[in-house]
Order: sequence, then structure tokens, then C-alpha cells
Amino acid sequence: MIQCKNRFSRKILATALSAIVASGMTALPATSLADETSCSPFTPLIKGQEDLVYVWTLGVEGVGDGSDKLVTVDVNPKSRHYGKVIDSLSVGGRNEAHHVGLSDDRRFLWGGGLDSSHIFIFDIYSDPAKPKLVKIIKDFVEKSGGIVGPHTFYATPGRMIITGLSNNKDHGGTTAHVIYNNKGEHVKTVHIPTAELNGVKGDGYNYDVAINPKKNAMLSTSFTGWNNYMMDLGKMVKDPEAMKHFGNTSVMWDFKTMKPLKIFNTPGAPLEARWNWGKGQDFAVTTAALTSKVWVYMQDNKGEWQAHDVATIGNPADIPLPVDISMTADGKGMWINTFMDGSSRYWDFSDPLWPKEMFKKKIGSQVNMVSQSYDGKRVYYTSSLLGNWDKKGQDDEQFLKMYHWDGKDLKLGFEIDFYKEKLGRAHHMKFQARDMKSLKPLHAEAEGLDNLRVVLNAASAQ
Amino acid sequence: MKRLPWFAWSGIFHSAWVYAIGTPVQLDPPLGLPPLSIPAANPLTREKIDLGRRLFMDRRLSHNNTMSCAMCHVPEQGFTSHELGTAIGMQGRSLRRNSPTLYNIGYHLSLFHEGRELHLEDQVWGPLLTKVEMDMPSIGYVVEKVRLLDEYKGQFEAAFGGPVSAERIGHALASFQRTLISGNSRFDRWFYGDDKSALNLREQKGFEIFMGKGRCATCHWVDEKTALFTDHKFHNTGLGWERSMFPERNNYKVQLAPGIFVQVMGALLKSFEPPQADVGRYEVTLDTKDRWAYKTPMLRNVAITRPYMHDGSLSTLEDVVEFYDKGGIDNENKSPLLMPLKLDSEEKTALVAFMNSLTGDNLEALTRDARSAPVTLPVLSKDAADLYMDAVLAAP
Repeated sequence: MIQCKNRFSRKILATALSAIVASGMTALPATSLADETSCSPFTPLIKGQEDLVYVWTLGVEGVGDGSDKLVTVDVNPKSRHYGKVIDSLSVGGRNEAHHVGLSDDRRFLWGGGLDSSHIFIFDIYSDPAKPKLVKIIKDFVEKSGGIVGPHTFYATPGRMIITGLSNNKDHGGTTAHVIYNNKGEHVKTVHIPTAELNGVKGDGYNYDVAINPKKNAMLSTSFTGWNNYMMDLGKMVKDPEAMKHFGNTSVMWDFKTMKPLKIFNTPGAPLEARWNWGKGQDFAVTTAALTSKVWVYMQDNKGEWQAHDVATIGNPADIPLPVDISMTADGKGMWINTFMDGSSRYWDFSDPLWPKEMFKKKIGSQVNMVSQSYDGKRVYYTSSLLGNWDKKGQDDEQFLKMYHWDGKDLKLGFEIDFYKEKLGRAHHMKFQARDMKSLKPLHAEAEGLDNLRVVLNAASAQ
Repeated sequence: MKRLPWFAWSGIFHSAWVYAIGTPVQLDPPLGLPPLSIPAANPLTREKIDLGRRLFMDRRLSHNNTMSCAMCHVPEQGFTSHELGTAIGMQGRSLRRNSPTLYNIGYHLSLFHEGRELHLEDQVWGPLLTKVEMDMPSIGYVVEKVRLLDEYKGQFEAAFGGPVSAERIGHALASFQRTLISGNSRFDRWFYGDDKSALNLREQKGFEIFMGKGRCATCHWVDEKTALFTDHKFHNTGLGWERSMFPERNNYKVQLAPGIFVQVMGALLKSFEPPQADVGRYEVTLDTKDRWAYKTPMLRNVAITRPYMHDGSLSTLEDVVEFYDKGGIDNENKSPLLMPLKLDSEEKTALVAFMNSLTGDNLEALTRDARSAPVTLPVLSKDAADLYMDAVLAAP
């Protein structure tokens, strides 16, 4: 049912990947590949004006139909519906809607529910302005061998890597990566290490993944289990037992074999994983939610990955809670949102070992996700972190806001009040183009790799 | 320990006859525990225990198929949860209290921290139907959902000689929980088994303090031949009173990562859920003398059933000893049995050492037994209520 048949086909995607395999990781030149915010490098990009923003939205009891929904917003300034909600597709129930991810051909959008562990697959190419729900995977826990809480959806050729956050034995944080194919079928479950590797004991926790194909490297991070991510944030902070159960490690993997290469001690829930695609850079970044640390991952002169504690965001005693981050296309800047003070901060990453906070602006009473356009001129924000981590009462603002960024200041373009529109809690965003032909090819394709032998199965069906 | 006359036992779901179906099971109490009274209306059988185990572990017993009894009473965590002070239920909703351990639950004379339920056979319906726990819409919905699940086809007939019913669900779950018996601890072997080497000198000293200067046995009874370490009564230690009267603190010591702590100002957390009211036993009796009184917990396996107290607010046995050494927290209704103990450091250490000797010898076996039942099974293709309506509307 869910197939890739456009020009960004499995073949091309596989070709990019096979280059890694065929060339022993050296054939791909350094790229300046970037995502709009956090797209997989195997997903074609929108390098011009995005037409639509999809917002995966948590249903709230007493707000509209109370159901989780995929909300479509027209964001093309030339449209008469600019800045307006043009579609809302309820999926039924409150699943703890959280993250969404684009398929390798950008024709489908996968969204997960951290509570129900249901996965919803939307067709976003037949009519991008009106997504269709084409499949619901309800047996993720059963098929994955007990993994709960599908979080990140990260496309690889013909496959979707889904990070789990918890498990069905104790709702704690020991969990796995779960690999599905594009048909929505379970392929493999890869557990996060709990044994010692390189002198660091794995804690089995998981959160996000990001892949650097050129380096055959995949970084995974760690958060917490169902018990904590479903709990009221204030109650959790006051519960000493709960606070003992956060992930404190991140893992660098051999992407091709899905074997862990090295475990890093990165205390305090390292969350979003991003690669810097700046030419000749090849470093990855994460921020730790609880300790407010910025970690940078680089290879040393022997080729071994090392994690560097490079900065602290705000005052950790105030628990600013750094959440989503977004690297710029040139890799020289990064947006960091801090949930508790509702602020977005721009950090200069020209020197990744000495990044500096250059700009800070309050977006709302709370802010979580940030997504920027490829050129970095438009920055989108949503408010919701988790259903029970969001603030209560007047501080529970729920919005999508778009700002124009001129390198010095953020100027509000439009905003949508998700409560006023009876939608719910605005969470993860993904962009889409109305004309799928306008999508830009993978950078790997532009590098002339079509003549390399396709070994898709060898690489991605592991 | 007094025994209740079980012939007087009754509950809203219970029939008067004794089932004669199934393979009878005799539970032989381990050293240190008295014989377990089994209700005449619900004799133990292998079939009911097996069925109850399956129900206990099955996440489909919750409205959205995410919560089972075992998600809060985790077998590997002493049939409680080590990871939470107070429990979390359906869709992350907050409960007010700590999940009590289910070890030796069959010996309890009342259930829940404030004793609002009287019989295991009835107790199950509290968590199943409570919105903050498993949130099943109604009793009939639960019965219909279980009836529709393939894995239960024929199981109730084998156990009870008839189809699924509310009463039988309660009986099966109660039967399984009664098997969670754990005794024959090192203390039992020393005190009741005449194995003089089973406790070291510090642990023996701890027992002496437990029975004497520490005044622990005032409420945590130890009898001549057996010990349940409870008086089955309800006491105000001041902890519940303080939580109600001073629910918010000026600051909280918060662990950000192992070894990394900060003091977080309470004002920073004002935008989140406030603590819920909890007046303890008073909520059952409406008698003001019962305000903030909670049931005396059994202490068997106490070393592996952290965190402690009705709200899980004390992380370690050392914290608990410190709390009682101070005589609890003064308030109008504080139990007169509590007073400052003036224990020295060695006495406190010995007391903790003694409590660490109360761990039963069969915990791994109980965990294995519970885990022999599946946790995640296929969910229904449609909601149980819809399937029911489809069936009745299609009937001639």
C-alpha cells in the first residue's frame, strides 16, 4: 500500500546509501546537506518556500472533539489562506501524539502516540493540503517485542527507524530502536545497550536518532520511560524516585550494522540529536534537558568518536529545560528552545567547541518545537512538550507561531491559537510542498552517485 | 493475630455456594507465616489461579490497552514500583499514593492505604473502574471486553463452569494474588526455626530495638509463632497531615543526574498540578479521629519494596528510621504511640540491618511465575462496546 514511486525512489535513496557500503565510507565527498529542521538526510528537501506546515496535535479533553489530530496550516505568503488552518484530521483518542517523520520519498508522514503506541501513517502527496490517514499500526508493542512509546521516525532507504521510549514490562526507560519497512511492517528490533562498552555502562534508554551516511554513524540519545513522560511535570520534579530514572547516556552506532560503537556518559537526558552538515564539519550535537548541557560529538585524530561538554544553557538550578534544537543549513548556528521560560535562543556554532548564545527571545509562556526553513529566514514554533508536562492554567498557551529571522531579531509573521481554534496542544511540525516536483534531490544524488551499485538490502534490511 | 470468621465474609459480587470445579490447591504457609484463610465462596484452584495471573498481567484490562495490574505492581520491583513515589495511571493521571506491595496481600484484613475495601474479590473493581487508574467505562464493559478476547475463550468455563462474569473476574484475580506468599526469611529461620546463625549480631541487636526501644512492634506485630508485622490498624504519623496542611515547600532538592542535585524554588513549579487532598482513613469513616491515618504496612520484604510510606515520600529504610526516631510529625491527631526514640547511630544501623533480614526466600520464583503470563496480546479490532452493539443489533 505504501510504496515509493516518485523520482526520489528507493533506487536513488539506496544508491546514496550503497555509496557508503561500496566505497568503504570514503566515496562521498563532504556535503553541505541540510534539513529544514531535522529531516533525515535520506529525505528530499524543500529548499525554497514551504507551502504547508503539518502540526501533530494532542487532543485535550473538553477542547473541540478532544482527539489527537494532524493539523495542516497554509504558510505560503502568496496564498489567500496564509497563516490559516486549512485542514484538521482527527485520528481518534488521545494517544499522546508526539513526533512525526517523513518517509524516504516525502510522500508519507508517520506519527506516533507515546501512550497508546499507535502509529498513524498519512498520505501527504495525493493532496498535500488534505492529508489522508491510510494506515494505523496498532500492534507496535506486540510486533516489537514489548517496546512502548514510538518517538522518532527517521527515514532510511525503504525503512523507517522508530525509537522507542519505554517498555511493556515496567513502563521504565529500557527500550529499543524498532525498524519498520515502508509498507508498515516490522523488520527488526535493536535494543539499546545495557552492558558496558568502552568503560561506560549503557542504561538502555532511548530518545532520538540522527544519521551521518558519510561517516556511517548514527547517534542516539536518551530520555525516560512512560512513568515519567506521562506524569505531570511538577509532580515528577518533586518525586525523588521519578527523578532517578532518566537516561544519562548517548550512543554512537555503526549505522550499517546497527551495532553500538561507543557509549558516552552525557548525564541528564540528552534529547534531540542533530548532525551538522557544514562542509568538512561532521559533528553532531545534543542538549541535555535536565543538566542544560550542550554536547558536541567529534572524531579525534584517530577517528574515534568523542563527546565534548561545550556549554551550559541558562541556569540549571532554574531547570530551563532545553528541548528542541534546530541547526542552520550552513551548520554555523543553532536554535535552542528552553521550555520553562518559553524562550528561543540562537547560538553561534562557528566554533563548535566554543559555542556562544547570541540572542534570546521569549516566544510564549512555554515553547517546545522549533523548525526553520532551509534558508533559515523563517522559524516556526509550537508550544506543547508533553500532555502532562505542559503548564496548567493561564500559562498553558498552545500555539503555532512563525517568525522572520534577519540574523538579528525574530519578527512575528503569524500566529495561531490552537485552543481558540479548538484543536489542542500543538506539537511536532513538518513542512510540505504542494508541488512534489519542486522537492530538491538528495545531496547525494547531486554528487553523481547513480552509477554506484545498489545494495539496498545489504545496507538497510539488517 | 486475630482471625476473622470467614464464614461471615460477604461481598457484593459473591455467590453463596462453593465452586466444586477445578483442581484444588492447598497453600502451605512458609516458616513465619500463619495459615492463609481462603473464603469459602472462592476456594483456590489451579484453573482460577492461572486465569487470575493472566488477567493480572494483561494490559488489555485497561480502557486503552496500556495498563495492567502489573504495570503498577511490577513483579521485578517487589510487586510495587521502585520508580515512582506515587503511582501514575491512565494517560499519566496522578494518583495520590504509593503502589503497595502485593506480597502476602492475602493476609490483609482491609485493602488500600485507608482500608476502604474489605475483600480481595471486590478490590479489583476499584483500579479497573477508577478514571485515574485503568479507566474502564463500566463493569459490563469489562465483562464484555474479556469475553471477546480470544485468549480467554473457554478459560472461565474451565475455572468456574460458566462464562465470564464480574464476580468470576474478581474471584480469579483474588485467587492469583493470594498465591503471592513470601516468608521463610533469614529472620524467620532465626526466630521461628532455631537457626541461630541466620542473623548476625547486628541484626539480632536490630530485632531487640525493633521490639523494645524502637517501639516498632507496637504497630508491626510479631507473634509467638508467626509474624505479619502489622496490627491491621490505621495510624496518623503526621506525614499525611503535613502533606495536606503544607502541600508546597519553598524549595525542593532535585536530582538532575546521578550525583548532580539542585535546589529548585517551589515558585518555579506553580504552573503545574498542585498536590491532591488526602485525608486518609477519614475518607472511609468520616470520623475526625481518623484524619490522616493510614494502614500499618506489613514489613516482610521491606528491603525490596521501596519507596516507603503511603505517599512514597521516603526513599530508604534509613529515612524511615530517622522519621520515626523523631517521633513522627506533631499534629492534633497524631498517634499517641509515636514519640521521639533517641536512637543512636549504631541502633539505627542495627534496626535497618534487621529489616533487611525480612526478605523471603521465594521472590525470584514469584516473579517467574507472574511473568509466565503474556503481557501484550492482540487488541480487539473494534471497541468492545461497539462489538457488543453490532452483535445485539444483528440478533434476530
